[in-house]
Amino acid sequence: MPVSKPNAVNFMAEYSLGQAYRTEVGAYDEMQADNGVVRPHWQDFIQALDQHQADELRHRRQDIRRLLREDGASYNVHADTPHTNRPWDLDPIPLLISQSEWETIEAGLIQRAELLNLILKDLYGPRTLLRQGLVPEQLFFAQNGFLLPCTQTLPPGHRPLVLYAADLARAPDGSMRVLSDRTQVPYGAGYALENRTVLRRAMPGPFRQAATTVRRLVFFFLALRTQLAALAPQPKSDVRIVVLTPGPQDQTYFEHAYLAAYLGYPLVQGNDLTVRDSRVWLKSLEGLQAVDVILRRVDDFLCDPLELDGSSSLGVPGLLEAARQGNVALANPLGSGALENPGLMPFLPALCRHLLGQDLKLPSIATWWCGQPQACQYVLDHLDRLIVKSIHRQAGKQTVEGDKLNRDQLATWRARIQAQPHLYVAQDQLNFSTAPSLAEDRLEPRHTLLRSFLVAQEESYMAMPGGLTRSALDKGSFLVAPGTEVTKDTWVLTSQPEQPISLWLQRDPTQLEPVSGDILPSHTAENLFWVGRYAERAESSAVLLRTVIKQLSEQEKQSDEADTQALHTLLRALTVSTNSRPGFVGQGSKKRLADPYPELQAIALDQQRQGSLSATLHMLVRAAYSVRERWSMDSWRVIDDLQENWGALTAGPHTPLEQIRNHLDQLVTDLMAFTGLNMESMNRELGWVLLDIGRRIERAVSLIALLRSTLVPRHEAVVESLLMEAALTTQESLITYRRRYRAHLHLQTVLDLLLFDDRNPRSLIYQLERLNRHIGQLPRQRQSNRLSPEEQLILGATTHLRLADPENLLETHATRHRALDRLLAKQKKQLSQLSEIMSLTFFSHSQVPRQLGGIEPESQS
Amino acid sequence: MKYHIVHKTDYHYGSTVALCHNEARLTPRTLPGQTCHSSHIEIDPQASAPSQRLDFWGNQVTYFAIQMPHQRLQVTATSQVELESGEQQLDFAGDIPWEEMRARLVGPCSPQWQEARLLAMESRLVALQPELAAYARPSFPPGRPLLEGVGQLTGRIFADFTFDPSFTTVSTPLSQVLEHRRGVCQDFAHLAIGCLRSLGLAARYVSGYIQTLPPPGQKRLVGADASHAWFSVFAPGQGWIDFDPTNNQRPHGQHITVAWGRDYADVAPFKGVVFGGGQHRLDVSVDVEGLQK
Repeated sequence: MPVSKPNAVNFMAEYSLGQAYRTEVGAYDEMQADNGVVRPHWQDFIQALDQHQADELRHRRQDIRRLLREDGASYNVHADTPHTNRPWDLDPIPLLISQSEWETIEAGLIQRAELLNLILKDLYGPRTLLRQGLVPEQLFFAQNGFLLPCTQTLPPGHRPLVLYAADLARAPDGSMRVLSDRTQVPYGAGYALENRTVLRRAMPGPFRQAATTVRRLVFFFLALRTQLAALAPQPKSDVRIVVLTPGPQDQTYFEHAYLAAYLGYPLVQGNDLTVRDSRVWLKSLEGLQAVDVILRRVDDFLCDPLELDGSSSLGVPGLLEAARQGNVALANPLGSGALENPGLMPFLPALCRHLLGQDLKLPSIATWWCGQPQACQYVLDHLDRLIVKSIHRQAGKQTVEGDKLNRDQLATWRARIQAQPHLYVAQDQLNFSTAPSLAEDRLEPRHTLLRSFLVAQEESYMAMPGGLTRSALDKGSFLVAPGTEVTKDTWVLTSQPEQPISLWLQRDPTQLEPVSGDILPSHTAENLFWVGRYAERAESSAVLLRTVIKQLSEQEKQSDEADTQALHTLLRALTVSTNSRPGFVGQGSKKRLADPYPELQAIALDQQRQGSLSATLHMLVRAAYSVRERWSMDSWRVIDDLQENWGALTAGPHTPLEQIRNHLDQLVTDLMAFTGLNMESMNRELGWVLLDIGRRIERAVSLIALLRSTLVPRHEAVVESLLMEAALTTQESLITYRRRYRAHLHLQTVLDLLLFDDRNPRSLIYQLERLNRHIGQLPRQRQSNRLSPEEQLILGATTHLRLADPENLLETHATRHRALDRLLAKQKKQLSQLSEIMSLTFFSHSQVPRQLGGIEPESQS
Repeated sequence: MKYHIVHKTDYHYGSTVALCHNEARLTPRTLPGQTCHSSHIEIDPQASAPSQRLDFWGNQVTYFAIQMPHQRLQVTATSQVELESGEQQLDFAGDIPWEEMRARLVGPCSPQWQEARLLAMESRLVALQPELAAYARPSFPPGRPLLEGVGQLTGRIFADFTFDPSFTTVSTPLSQVLEHRRGVCQDFAHLAIGCLRSLGLAARYVSGYIQTLPPPGQKRLVGADASHAWFSVFAPGQGWIDFDPTNNQRPHGQHITVAWGRDYADVAPFKGVVFGGGQHRLDVSVDVEGLQK
């Protein structure tokens, strides 16, 4: 247990956050020296902080959480189980690094990046380092990050290792050590940028004042853009760069979307790409677009099912061959995971002298690779004091702390290591430094790690001045890992404030710039289409639900037969429109009609229930999150708000209908705000067209469903009147109707307004006309003058509706308006077909690759 | 002796394949005692972007894609190979105790030794396990010369295991083969390799062909009519020495080497990734005809 020592003499005693800051004995503290004095580079900051009351800082912390949530910053929000949903957490107190110390760290990081780059080139090239015995073959060959098919596939430039990240920790003596090297898909740079952005927005003025002497992160991203453009196999002005993500289920998907949006590259998944003629192409709505450079966030072995892991569906078959032929460049190149081998650390000092003629500036944490007999013996003798790791790169990597093992467990681990010593390394348990964190109303020390990021440049590497700092949640804990950590902004101080610049204001004409121009990867197109459909579906369900609840409460006040009949019809309409049978239609509906409360609650709130409003909202958020990079800040905030508001309601077990109704008002407003924002702020490019196609199809379909279950059946005049009023209300058309017709409700005129009035944005014809125009705008290769199937369908539907004779529609069969029903049924069918054809024609990523051979019994002998 | 080899791979798909990417290792190697005079691969329908390269092991790989919709894919490899007759001469006098060999697989080394070290390690289809070491142990008492031990192990596998094409598939784990003592040439090769690697020795998987009809007076070997598989062990000063556990012999004059690697996964004659295709049927045929000199 760390012992705290009171902190007597210093100006911290007067510090307004209350209690004195107590450092831990034995650990280095970033802010406070052993004698209790605040280190010089922290003094300005502390003074600025001192002008604030503790509760103000607490409020700021709330602001930070809200801003992060609104930005969708998270680790895996997509997971359906709540405990894996980990919102990003940011401490208002940054980690400060002095200018002079940063220069030392930076030099060490750059040297280490150069060194690892040379090792990578040798490993997948001539392998002389292995032959000369500078690194044992076993160390690399036995590790799962070393991929044989990747030999001789690195791009020709000097620095194939484009991106590198290092996890740093400070030892008790104040020196920095590298805990691990990240070379495969080093993540975190985007989170670091988000932290900086949010902190700047949330923190008050004097705090910002202190921040003017902080180095800016933007230069790092500028360098990244320049380097990615320079990787293009052929120099050209319109280099196409994409960000390849495993998809929204990935833990760090937020960062993929964030970086794609920030850097201005399309975000794509494996099946958005295809290899043809050994070149990589992006399947977009506009056809195949050549891709030159891929910023990749998919693990090495998953990237190409042809040559690497055949069961992967996240990669692109033929990708490695395209890279081998030099037709596409990847950052980082496939196989880079071989450097994420902790067993390499003991060999780095000698490799550095051999390859660079220099001493290693930034040492690794003390590491023993058990493949060496002496090292192995040391590890076996001191196992209870060491941390044991596998050399493999694996998800949920098992790290064993020797001091937590009992005697039997130690024996098991010794046997395991002795059986295959070359697969294990052991490292010192480092008592790494603490930094101040905001805990309730005061600062407290927390053990802290720093992840630094580097990007290759023409002549060297550039380190991001700053990085992603992560602190343990609890006092005294060394556990800094997803779920038990809080992140911090990292301030590298400078005496010369840098001019603020924007990534997008840099216009050096000599610099290679990636193409702008919106192209729509087919995944993105499909998700936008579904966002349109779900948003509209949620809105129409919410409005109908609201109408039903209103009708229900009125019926309770004074129950007459007509009211009851109208209510039952509306309840049935609700089941039909939300597609949540049996509900008020199928088996057991009689009982439910008599007591509709439980069923209404379920349709509103039960996320497990198909067709429920909660389920629809869940799918809406999911689809919207999958195209996170497409939404304006405001649009995303609306999505976040409606999720938050409705989610709060779902939590209660027996929510009164009145409360649901109040929330429905808010929800409808939120959904309309979302639609309105998209109308106002989205460019009328293909993405918007797809979104609106989804919305129009859904609106048409739900209107048809409503009319078929309310006004197609014949009712007594009183009931019919109530239903017409309800239908007009749900279609936001009651006021228009009254203004225009100034009369009682007539079925004829109601239908006129809801079906045929092309000035009414809720009418069926309005939806069809809009679809007609949108579909005409979709890109397609014209083979002839013939209309495409989707054009034919929408033209057919529009004509069919226009030619319908309103007079004859009310021709009546015994129980229903048969002609009206026929018309609506046919419209419905055509719209369903249209939706299907859209999927087949434009969302072409749906085919899944399958492996041949390898699993076939080829060799029968 | 010269051989004319035709290896046909024929996929019939239940529905249309829109796009496929493939890798073939169908070109016999040229090595001491074996010369590949000619070899070409015919692809129907027309292949796009075909390219040739050598893989990590020096095997010839043909990559190609079919970018037009198709329901059938035929790949026919035709090769002319000449084998020098006569057994690979073994220097039993120079054979070293197996433990010494194991010790030599550590420290700085030549490229050939580097390869040997990689082949002493576990691989995807050959997981090391104590049962394999236990099975191998009787063939390697302390001090026994390496090749003598390997020869004996080969004989034991031949005697203890039943050739049974119905028992295993490519994905049958080695532990099953060991438990039930059944399998095909591929399993026996993997088994021998696993035994040797479990003892710390280097062994590689070899895929190739043997003659369909033997010369007059000779017995027809098991494993004709399809790809055959055997293994090779690294002996200091002598290089890689082949053993065929399926036929209990040291290959001589009848085994045509196409490719080698850690295990079957490195040398599969044909593999691919298809988009579409539904159910498919696969026909593979190999014809190896001996020609007079």
